[in-house]
Amino acid sequence: MSTAHPHVPDVSTEDRLYTVKYRDSGESHLGIENADICTECTTNECTSVCPAAVWTVDDDSDGVPSIAYENCLECGSCRFGCPYDNVEWTYPKTGSGVVFKQG
Amino acid sequence: MSESEPTLQKPNHQTETPNYDDAYDAIVVGAGLSGTAAALTMAREGLDVLLLERGPAPGTKNVFGGVLYTPTIRELVDIDDAPLERYIAEKKFSMLSADGDETAVSMRPSAWSDDPHNDSYTVLRRRFDEWFAKQAEEAGVTLITETTVTDVLRDGDTIVGVRTDRPDGEIRAPVVVLAEGANSLVSETAGLKDRPDREDVAVSVKEVFKLNRETIDDRFHLDGDAGAAYHYFGEGAVGEAVGGGFVYTNKRTVSVGVAYRIEDAAQGQTPEATLDAFESHPAVAPLVRGGRRIEYSAHAIPEGGADAMPDLVYDGAVVVGDAAGLVLNSGVHLEGTNMAVESGYHAGKAIAAAIEDGRTDEAALAAYPRDLEDSFVVENLRHYDWFHRTIATDRQFLFEDLPRALADAETEYFKMDRSSKEAHTDAARERLLDATGGWVGAAKRAWRFRRMLS
Ligand SMILES: Cc1cc2nc3c(=O)[nH]c(=O)nc-3n(C[C@H](O)[C@H](O)[C@H](O)COP(=O)(O)OP(=O)(O)OC[C@H]3O[C@@H](n4cnc5c(N)ncnc54)[C@H](O)[C@@H]3O)c2cc1C
Ligand code: SF4
Ligand code: SF4
Repeated sequence: MSTAHPHVPDVSTEDRLYTVKYRDSGESHLGIENADICTECTTNECTSVCPAAVWTVDDDSDGVPSIAYENCLECGSCRFGCPYDNVEWTYPKTGSGVVFKQG
Repeated sequence: MSESEPTLQKPNHQTETPNYDDAYDAIVVGAGLSGTAAALTMAREGLDVLLLERGPAPGTKNVFGGVLYTPTIRELVDIDDAPLERYIAEKKFSMLSADGDETAVSMRPSAWSDDPHNDSYTVLRRRFDEWFAKQAEEAGVTLITETTVTDVLRDGDTIVGVRTDRPDGEIRAPVVVLAEGANSLVSETAGLKDRPDREDVAVSVKEVFKLNRETIDDRFHLDGDAGAAYHYFGEGAVGEAVGGGFVYTNKRTVSVGVAYRIEDAAQGQTPEATLDAFESHPAVAPLVRGGRRIEYSAHAIPEGGADAMPDLVYDGAVVVGDAAGLVLNSGVHLEGTNMAVESGYHAGKAIAAAIEDGRTDEAALAAYPRDLEDSFVVENLRHYDWFHRTIATDRQFLFEDLPRALADAETEYFKMDRSSKEAHTDAARERLLDATGGWVGAAKRAWRFRRMLS
């Protein structure tokens, strides 16, 4: 974004997510309504809006994102961000999911 | 926090309550600021209240900047006992260019150092929300955690209770308070409101840095419980997006984050890259240098303003706080905590009065939107509604041209060379006028933004 101060903090997404506490429910609370729509979708906005790298589209997946739900911070950005309203978004079951210690 | 799954019909920490149905006057969905304020208000009015929270404890799902504004909370609880971090002794508003320039206005009115400290304190939500809910429990509210409400129950058009993700998880009560925050799935599922557009919702990412207390005091020029709230704008804060960055001091940690429209993130400016650029800006990096990252978090902020507010009352239900879009994000102000508490308070009062009259239909609950309308909440939201429209028109000027022009003008104005101060002033003025489109452009813009400070 800038050349004047290329000193980007020395931190990866993994480092950041490592600071977050979770309780895994063992099943995904996120999903895709209709995979065909993802195949048609060229912009993959779910991947750009997610701060936790939950959504990734691999070359061999027909354009359908894979969902690393265990990393989800439950911010809701993908829910608002998908232009085709194609994200299936629920809360993790009975208290599981992210557990913020600071907030 | 038990490992077994207690059903709502036979909760493990309650005795002799065979069934919750109609055991309560009101069910509150969400133990955030608005929900707990509503529950506490109703309990103080003598109602039996059930407060449901999806997290393992109140606060575990909640994130904010942030500064808690306490004028209304103070009426409900003794905040001297609350886990407050620091009072706000200094506010700074700062323009950052992408080239590393900073132009800032800072204020430290001595009055803020005196009790009640302008009712502005940094807090961490995990600790504060848990404490606040505890006060509600002490006032008689029943809190049940690890329970997610999935829908409302209806009898015809009237809302008569909630469905939860617990076995046998249906509970009935005369009124349901929807205090679910920015991701208001229940209100949306029940058709009480539409999901906001992504132009009207911000994504925010935040990190908490651990530093020792003396380092924080020294870097921010603070003493005792004094704290600082820094707000950043411009391309150096959030790149091409509409939004801002923040740095807040807690006792032994510093909160750093950015918040900007999901629309901009969808266009390709990812939250992490935006946070990286902000944290590495020369105006920000030294503040947290050497700090250990202890938590990364993210949350949505509804910022559609008064235009995007849904109906607040229905037969048997009310909507409060972020679920009702009650957040003011005007650039200068980022306030949601005070509005959440104020709305919960007015809703609680209105429900108590309605139940006293034996009615809970929309008309009986109408005092809530009426009182909110008369309060600072709706007035402020309406007052600043123009801001979002204006900012969209002037984004390039505000966030890119102006910070650069200010830096250039400052450089000219304070330049140490052998020409006169007057020549420097002229040169500085010219830089600014260039950016603002001459005197006429500057006057027009000043007019458009005059209300920001009024
Ligand atoms: C990054 C950021 C910075 C901010 N900075 C500031 C600031 O400095 N000052 C300020 O005044 N405001 C700030 N705000 C806004 C402020 O945080 C919110 O306006 C405020 O928290 C809203 O309170 P609420 O009770 O309506 O919602 P929340 O605090 O979000 O509470 C909602 C609660 O409901 C629970 N819940 C949700 N759905 C369900 C369900 N179905 N069943 C059971 N429980 C459920 C959640 O777990 C949560 O506990 C900021 C917001 C963000 C995101
Ligand atoms: S979820 Fe939405 S944005 Fe993501 S690939 Fe599918 S259609 Fe595209
Ligand atoms: S809710 Fe937020 S963190 Fe979770 S997948 Fe969606 S965008 Fe990513």
